Amino acid sequence: MLTKPNREAMPVDWRTTVRARLMVCAVGLAVWTAAIEARLVYLQVIEQADLSARAARQQMRTHKPPAKRGEIVDRKGRLLAYSVDADTIAAVPSEIDNPADVAAKICNVLDNCNTERRQAMASSLSRAGSFAYVARQITLDEARRVKALELPGLTLLKESRRFYPNSELAAHVIGYVGLDNVGLGGIESAYDSQIRGTAGKVLIQTDNKRRAVFSRVERPATAGAGIELTIDQYLQFVAERELRVGVEANRAQGGTAIVMDPNTGEILALANWPTFNPNAYSRVQDEARRNRAIQTLYEPGSTFKIVTASAALERQVITPESMVDTSPGSITFPGRKPIYDTHRYGLLNFTDVIVKSSNVGAIKVGLKVGPDVLTQYVTKFGFGQTIAPDFKGETAGIVWSADRLDASALASVSMGYQVGVTPMQMATAVSSIANGGHFLQPRVVRAFIKDGRRIEVPHKEMRRTIEPDTAATMTAIMEQVVERGTAKAAQIEGYTIAGKTGTAAKLVNGNYQKSDYNASFVGFAPSRKPALTILVVIDSPHGHGYTGGAVAAPIFKRIAEASLTYLGVGPNLNPAPPVVVARRGNDADAPAAQPVRTASLLAATIEPARHGLMPDLRGFSGREALRMLSQIGMTARINGDGFVLEQNPMPGSALVRGDACLLTLGRRPVVPAGGPQ
Amino acid sequence: MSGMDFEYAIKKDIRNNPIVREVDEARQRQLWRSVGIGLFLVVVLLFSAWQHFELLRHGYQIERMQQERAAEEEINRHLRLEFETLRAPRRIEKIATEQLHLVAPTRGQAIVIERVTPSTPPDKSVVAVR
Repeated sequence: MLTKPNREAMPVDWRTTVRARLMVCAVGLAVWTAAIEARLVYLQVIEQADLSARAARQQMRTHKPPAKRGEIVDRKGRLLAYSVDADTIAAVPSEIDNPADVAAKICNVLDNCNTERRQAMASSLSRAGSFAYVARQITLDEARRVKALELPGLTLLKESRRFYPNSELAAHVIGYVGLDNVGLGGIESAYDSQIRGTAGKVLIQTDNKRRAVFSRVERPATAGAGIELTIDQYLQFVAERELRVGVEANRAQGGTAIVMDPNTGEILALANWPTFNPNAYSRVQDEARRNRAIQTLYEPGSTFKIVTASAALERQVITPESMVDTSPGSITFPGRKPIYDTHRYGLLNFTDVIVKSSNVGAIKVGLKVGPDVLTQYVTKFGFGQTIAPDFKGETAGIVWSADRLDASALASVSMGYQVGVTPMQMATAVSSIANGGHFLQPRVVRAFIKDGRRIEVPHKEMRRTIEPDTAATMTAIMEQVVERGTAKAAQIEGYTIAGKTGTAAKLVNGNYQKSDYNASFVGFAPSRKPALTILVVIDSPHGHGYTGGAVAAPIFKRIAEASLTYLGVGPNLNPAPPVVVARRGNDADAPAAQPVRTASLLAATIEPARHGLMPDLRGFSGREALRMLSQIGMTARINGDGFVLEQNPMPGSALVRGDACLLTLGRRPVVPAGGPQ
Repeated sequence: MSGMDFEYAIKKDIRNNPIVREVDEARQRQLWRSVGIGLFLVVVLLFSAWQHFELLRHGYQIERMQQERAAEEEINRHLRLEFETLRAPRRIEKIATEQLHLVAPTRGQAIVIERVTPSTPPDKSVVAVR
């Protein structure tokens, strides 16, 4: 007999079962949730700091983009020093199995890789550690070849590298930079803190493959300040070229040439020989890297008579016409050998003492001046002190104090011995005579360029050395030196030159050498309106001569001639009117270059000149204006390049033939003060 | 009577076809609201996902373009360096004299045209005494 199911009890059982199972599930779920929550709390609260740091290390990379060093340019903005990125090969030595093999493979693709370098690479790859430099700052081609090798454990890093596009040009002025981007010489070192800039900081978020996803610039890399030098690239090139030729022709040990603007103290060129290539500074000896112009002391010899003469004239101890007896051509002091003149000059006026460079005459004048006054002027002219703050490692020089100057020592100082000077000091001293007695601080930094702004460095007058009248008298005497004295080789046709030669025996181990001399010449041109002071010092010439007049003066002449032409300083002796001539070649039938404007227009323009009136030259090119001025018998003074914007005398004013017309040229029209109309 | 009732009960044609079930508008609105909310959530979810992936894609793109820009700038710097190297006076003089066989002009071939220099002239007494 079948028992009927208890329909009343069944729902109770079902619900109970479901409830029980639900309870089990709920408890299970609760435990699972609680476990997850507990894990979350553990991760998010207890381990939060550590895990966050680990995550940040894994996901975030910090990149420090190196700051580019500021550019160094010459006074016309031409580049002298520049930084570009270069690749550096770095390695994780622990990931490299066979260091010698890897080093050999790298060496094969690098230029100039010798056995020594390969062994050094293998050695650095063999070291224990997580980082090693293999080759630093390689070229683009080398980097491409290394990359193609796809060697495990190697990586290419970007580093900023300094390049000097003109190689040796102005190497001693600019200096050089080490592998770690720190200036080690010249301006690079003296102004390193300004040029270097500040490295940036960039946070990079990476994905699981270490690819950059997002980056955030925490601090941008700040480029260093640019520096505009007073150096003129072309004048520097000329000075270096002529110095090198002069040194080689005279088989000298070395030399220095300085070109300076006496009106501002700006150094336009500073050349030393031997020199070096700052792109490969480590390949030369220290001697080549030494800046002779500021670090080498030499006894100036007769060029120092300028100081003696200036002191004597300023203190009215003597006049240019005063007679000095130089007989018998020598002078003797107790305890030392006699001092001789090269010739027996007899009775000379003071001008001729300097013109003929009489040692006896200079000594007699120096003794009259006395040790106190002479020492005072030696100091006034900047000797025995550092004067050029733009250069590091400048030598102060050797100057004896007045109380140590007995008659013999005073005699030596009067003719430029027993005193140690740098070429820079001598050039600056003579510049002060050229500019009428202002002692201007020599400088090589013209302006700083930061964030697009140019901050000019003003020139600084330190003191007055001599009165303008004394300077003028000295100029006249120094002109005679070039015209009829020891420096005839410095003459330039059409220009008046003032200068002084110097020939001093070199002091080696306390003895004056009979075969080694310092030959020098210092002068300025044009002497009546000086544009340039040039000093040339040649160390130990062993060629056809050894005197300043024979060795240094011709180098001065070549540098001055090229510089005056380049700067557009016209002759001041019987200047010829400017004439523009179309020069034809051998082919007489070849048409000459035609002016853009028609002849009729040019003729119409100068038509007013027939009636004694100034023609309107505005709008014509400088060349056309010169041609027209030449036709109407006028000379020209030009300011600028391009087309005539302004002229003086004004159009329509009375024409004075033979007079000069001042032309202001430009490439763009002059905008009135109130802006364009 | 009861038979008639039965027959009647059997034959009575109860037609409930025309009975129109009344639409429960409240539930209908509820339904559409739920569907709308669901769709909205899905769209928000999809938009969020799309935005996230777009962000990633643009992140990669920006990084790539920044690298390209840096590379172009570096090429520019290299080219400027090369340009300046090529116009170094020493190199130009070498080409002029050795390859083109040019010579420096003599004094007779060059005319100096005076240019007005802005520098301060020296003291007038220097000129006056001459």
